[in-house]
Amino acid sequence: MGHTTAIQLREEKFVYTDKAKRLSYILMGLGLLLALIGFFTYHPSIEGLSEEQLHHLPAKRLLGSLLFNGYFFFLISTLAIIFIVISQLANAGWYVAVRRVFEAMSEFMPIGAITLFVVVFLSLYAFHGGIYHWAHDGVMESDPLLAKKTWYLNKPFFLIRLATFTGFWVFCASMIRKFSRQEDQLSTGLTDTTFFDKSYNLSALFMIVFGFTFSMFAWDITMSVDAHWYSTIFTIYNFATGWASAMTVAYLITWYLRKNGYMQGIVTDEHMHDLGKWVFAISMFWTYMWTAQFLLIWYANIPEEVAYYQPRMYGSYSFSFYFNLVLNFVIPFFMFMKRGAKRNPNIGAIVGACILIGHWNDVYLMVMPGAMNLATAVTDHNPVGIIEVPSQGVGLMEIGFLSLFAGLFLYIVMKGLTKANLYPTKHPYILESVQHDTGV
Amino acid sequence: MLTQRKEIHYMDNNKMLLGVYDNPDTTLDVTKSLKEKGYDVYDVYTPFAVHNLDRVLGVKRSRLSSAAFVFAMTGLTSAVSLQSFTSYFDWPMLIGGKPFLHIPTYIPITFELSILFTAFGMVGCFFIVNKMFWGRNTNIIDLRVTDDRFVIAVNVHEGKTDVNELSNIFKQGGALEVRERINEL
Repeated sequence: MGHTTAIQLREEKFVYTDKAKRLSYILMGLGLLLALIGFFTYHPSIEGLSEEQLHHLPAKRLLGSLLFNGYFFFLISTLAIIFIVISQLANAGWYVAVRRVFEAMSEFMPIGAITLFVVVFLSLYAFHGGIYHWAHDGVMESDPLLAKKTWYLNKPFFLIRLATFTGFWVFCASMIRKFSRQEDQLSTGLTDTTFFDKSYNLSALFMIVFGFTFSMFAWDITMSVDAHWYSTIFTIYNFATGWASAMTVAYLITWYLRKNGYMQGIVTDEHMHDLGKWVFAISMFWTYMWTAQFLLIWYANIPEEVAYYQPRMYGSYSFSFYFNLVLNFVIPFFMFMKRGAKRNPNIGAIVGACILIGHWNDVYLMVMPGAMNLATAVTDHNPVGIIEVPSQGVGLMEIGFLSLFAGLFLYIVMKGLTKANLYPTKHPYILESVQHDTGV
Repeated sequence: MLTQRKEIHYMDNNKMLLGVYDNPDTTLDVTKSLKEKGYDVYDVYTPFAVHNLDRVLGVKRSRLSSAAFVFAMTGLTSAVSLQSFTSYFDWPMLIGGKPFLHIPTYIPITFELSILFTAFGMVGCFFIVNKMFWGRNTNIIDLRVTDDRFVIAVNVHEGKTDVNELSNIFKQGGALEVRERINEL
């Protein structure tokens, strides 16, 4: 509502300095180095496993940590574009000033998708199944629990699904970015809704397709690692993990930009407050999904379902299991509830770091326990055909790939920020967004 | 809007001048200019929340959220103590081989009780702070604010406030009607 003093919409560009670039290079180089050291120094010795079985573990761990790190950053970039899509469809106005941050985050999508495809391809074809238990030779035929899933869980169909889904999402994301950038150049003014409408129509299509395909994508990438186990809420749980991380990354990047003097007078504490509310709300949403999945399994006590939580809760992964809840629920809940906390960059940085580490740990917990398990013949004594491998901990390989992907992600996002103005200057809702006010 | 106002209350016989508007923007502009000119604006009544109005009026942030947190923690503590007392200390029951004292089992009841305590506590606080008790009827300043009109109420101090100038400001701002407050009870 127009009462404040006149708003100056400037053509503001982000400058990616060499100093900032160096950080990404260091992260990438260090990460690659650590991961390689981790890989070549990993000589597991586990009681009860033969030499030949132990021989499989380094490759499994390498593929597993590549997959979950790639998945984590792919989720962040995908959910960033999904946030734009949702806000666009809801006709939201407040988010427009920070829209370019989300657009830049989604630039990572192609790299994430390629990483996933390569890891899955290597797993399925080069490593005889790799981290996917169901893809080992003879497992689908001899295992009565899996035999009926053959029409869905088979190598070619798996890769076709992965390629078409991620391909379509990457295409939609790039179109939405393109419309938004064209708007800055070609729009005739704030009342011109040509590009807004285009973006709106594509968002509607994208949202529907994404809703269905993301379900299958999550079944494929993470749920099929534990092929015997299934949970109908697992997709939404993955979605919540990715979304909480995406909102946190956007919140931190916006603080970084504001601290460096960008977007002055355009993005205010009010926007930070609302982004902070999103971080808080989606963290609570994640907890809700986590609890919903866990409680039903806990109460029902069905062996096939409990098998997923047994090693995580009482086995060698129990530290990560409880650590997960503390970082993703307890810390944001108590530290981020107050209004002042969301407007304070220092508290924001602490809580943001906790949430990001927490969700990284969450994805680690989804993938690694199942990925490290060995396949064996189905017998009466071992009806699932799995030899459980105890937790190998978080070592140089996991940290190394985290650092590598984090550096790559930062580089791509910062590069993405330089490609257009830091906020859409001709978006129909930009003035509404600049005056955004969350009240006292 | 929950405000912490102790000095004057509704039912007193203080004289007030009311300006009735039909537009949130003009209401906000007039309020702003009244505040700038030093008038004692008592309150502005709107059918919906108007952005920035709370800042212009200088309304202090409500402490209701802190109270809510305390209520939630009370609910949480009572839920956990109730469950651990009944199912572990007083009368342990074996259900499906699950441990007697296990936090995940407590989540639903703890969650619900925290929310219940918060909800009742906040509604109770709201009634107490606004002095809304049984058998008491609220004096609405103008019934139309519950529909589509906006009312600015300004305290008139005998000998200090220039009523003519005040009503001129009201009218120049686009008031549909300027009048003194009437007790409608």
